[in-house]
Amino acid sequence: MKAAGLAGLGSGALFVFGTALAVRLWVSGAAERLTTPEAEKPKVAVADQSEVAYCTPQFKQVLERVLHSCGLAEGDSSRRGCQPADVKTFASISDADFNALFTPLKDRGAVVLFDEGEDKLDDKAKKLLEDKWFARKGARYFFVVARASKTGNQAKNRALSHRRANSVMYHLNEVANDPDIEQKVGLLWLGNEFAQLSSDYCSWPSSRPEEKCEDETINRSAFVSWVDCRL
Amino acid sequence: MPGPKSKLPAVLALIAALLGLLFASNSTLDYAKHLDRRLHDVHCSFIPGAPATSEAEACRVAMYSPYSALLKEQYWGGIPISLFALGAFAFFSAFAVYLLVYGARAPRRALLFFGAASLVPLVVSLIMFTISVTKLGTVCKTCAGIYISSTLLAVAGVLGILASSREAPAEPRATVSPLLPVIWLISLGAISLVPALVYAASAPDERPYITKCGDLKQPKMKNDEFVKIATTHPIQPTLLFEDPLCPTCKAFHERLVGENIIEKLDVSLVLFPLDSDCNWMLDTALHPGACIVSKAVLCGGDNARAVLEWAFEEQEYLTRAGKNGPDVLRAAIKQKWGDAMLKCVDDRKTDVRLNNHLHFASDNNIPVSTPQMYLGSRRVCDEDTDLGLRFTLGQLAPEVLK
Repeated sequence: MKAAGLAGLGSGALFVFGTALAVRLWVSGAAERLTTPEAEKPKVAVADQSEVAYCTPQFKQVLERVLHSCGLAEGDSSRRGCQPADVKTFASISDADFNALFTPLKDRGAVVLFDEGEDKLDDKAKKLLEDKWFARKGARYFFVVARASKTGNQAKNRALSHRRANSVMYHLNEVANDPDIEQKVGLLWLGNEFAQLSSDYCSWPSSRPEEKCEDETINRSAFVSWVDCRL
Repeated sequence: MPGPKSKLPAVLALIAALLGLLFASNSTLDYAKHLDRRLHDVHCSFIPGAPATSEAEACRVAMYSPYSALLKEQYWGGIPISLFALGAFAFFSAFAVYLLVYGARAPRRALLFFGAASLVPLVVSLIMFTISVTKLGTVCKTCAGIYISSTLLAVAGVLGILASSREAPAEPRATVSPLLPVIWLISLGAISLVPALVYAASAPDERPYITKCGDLKQPKMKNDEFVKIATTHPIQPTLLFEDPLCPTCKAFHERLVGENIIEKLDVSLVLFPLDSDCNWMLDTALHPGACIVSKAVLCGGDNARAVLEWAFEEQEYLTRAGKNGPDVLRAAIKQKWGDAMLKCVDDRKTDVRLNNHLHFASDNNIPVSTPQMYLGSRRVCDEDTDLGLRFTLGQLAPEVLK
C-alpha cells in the first residue's frame, strides 16, 4: 500500500529533519551565547579579610599610617613599632579623636593591666591576651597600644610603655608560633603626652575586672585588639 | 489481545514514540544549553512539557555523571546519549505512522520487525535504570520519562507481534519484500545517529575558555600546611577547596572517584566551610556545623581522606545534626572517630589551623564557593568541574586520564 509507505517516509523525513534542526539550533544558540559576554554577569563574592562597620575612612587612614610608620607594611621588617612622637605626628588628630577611633573595638579587644611601674604580664593578663590573639577570625592586623601613666616623667613613661608593649609582643611570640607575626602586630607605645585614657575606659573588658579602676590604673595598660578592616 | 483490525498497537506506539521524543528533547536541550558554560535550570518532571526548574538535583546528578554522554574527552561534555534516544524515537514515530496508515492490512513482517525493534529502547532503558539506581543512587524524572516511553513502546511492539498472527478475512495483510526489515534496521541505526552527528558537528570549541578562570596568587600556605588526601598514583598536583557539608562537593568527589580520576591526583585540600561560625566571609551559615566537621578532617591526619569521605557519606545526617547544634555533631564525631579526635576538634590549635585555611582563601581572593579545583596553581572553571571535567583534564592534565 503506497499511502502507508509514503506516510511513513514523509513523516520519517519530517521527524529526522525536525530533530536535526532542533539539535542544530540548540547547540548553535549555546555557541552564540558562549561568544557573547553576559549582559549582567552574576556577581560572585570573593574571599577577603573581614571588613566591619567601624572601618570608617578616618579609622583606616590612621590605621594605614600606623602600618607604614610602624614597619608593618609588606617587606619592611627592619623597623618595629612606633615611638610616641611618631604616633602624635602620623595620627594628625587630637587625643580624644585618636581614642574615639578605638571605641568600636571595645568588644573585640581588651585592656591588659599592669602593676604600677611594672611591665610584667600576670597570668590573667597572659590568658586574656591569648584569648584575644586566638580569636583572630578574618582580621589581618593586631594592634597593641601600650601606655604608662598620666603623671610623672615623660621619658620614664615612654620607656615604661615601650617595655609593656614589648612584654605583650614577647608573650605573643611565645604562644603564637607564627613566623609572620611581625607582619601582623602593630605596636604603639605612648608616653603621657598623647591619648591617655579616662576612667570611662574602665568599663572595657580587662584582665583585672575585679580591681578598682580609675584614671591612673587604666593607663597602666596595653590595649590589644584585632582590627577587622581591609587596607 | 488486540484483534486483527485493532489500531491499538500503532496508536500506542505513536503515543509512546512521541512521548519519548519529547523527554529525549528535554534532556538534550538541557545538555545543549550548558555548552555556553553558564548555569541553567533543567527539566526534571514526569509531566511532558513541564518547564525547567532550579530544583532538579537528581537530573543534574544524572547529567554530570559519566554515564550521561559518550566521547567526553573528545567533546566538552561529550555526546549526550539522549541524542540517540531522540533519533530512535523519531524513527519509531515515523514507523508508527506507517503502521497506523496501513491499519488492519499492516504487513506481518512490519509488525514482527516493529515488535523486535521496539525491545531495543527497553533494553537500553533497563540498563540505564540499573546504572541510575546502583551507581547514582537516584533516578532522574526526565530519564524515567524515557524509560516509561520505552516500556510503552515495547508493549505496543508485543501487541503488534500478537496481532501479526491474525488477519481479517476481508482485509488480508499486505506482503513486503524480506529485504525491507533489513532496510528498516539500517534506517533505525542511521536515524539514531543523525542528531548525534549534528550535535558533534556544531558543538563549539571550548578550549579557549578552559584556561580563563585565573590562578592562585599565593600557591603556598603561610604558617600551615594543606591537608594531604591519600591517593594511589598521585601524579598531578591538585588543590581542592572543599566544605565537607556541601552537597556539590560531595557530588564532585563522587565524580572524581567514580571516573577513577582522584587516584592520579596529588591532592592538597583546603578546608573552606561555608559556615559563618568560623568563616567571616558569610553573614549566615549555608552549611551549619561545617566548621566542626572541617576541624575533624584537619584532625584526621593521615586518615583525612577517610574522614572526608565519611563526612560525605553521612552528609545528610551531619547536616541535620549541625542544625541541631554543635553538641550533636560532636557526639557523632566522637561515636565514629573516638575521644582523641574530639579532643583535637576542640583544641584551640585546630581552630587556628582552620583559620589559616580560611586566610589562605582570602589571601588568594578565591570566589566564595565550593568546590574549587586548581591544577597546579591554575583554577579549573566551575563548569569544567562538572560537565566538562574529562574534556578539561584531557586538555590540561592528560596523564590523569591514562
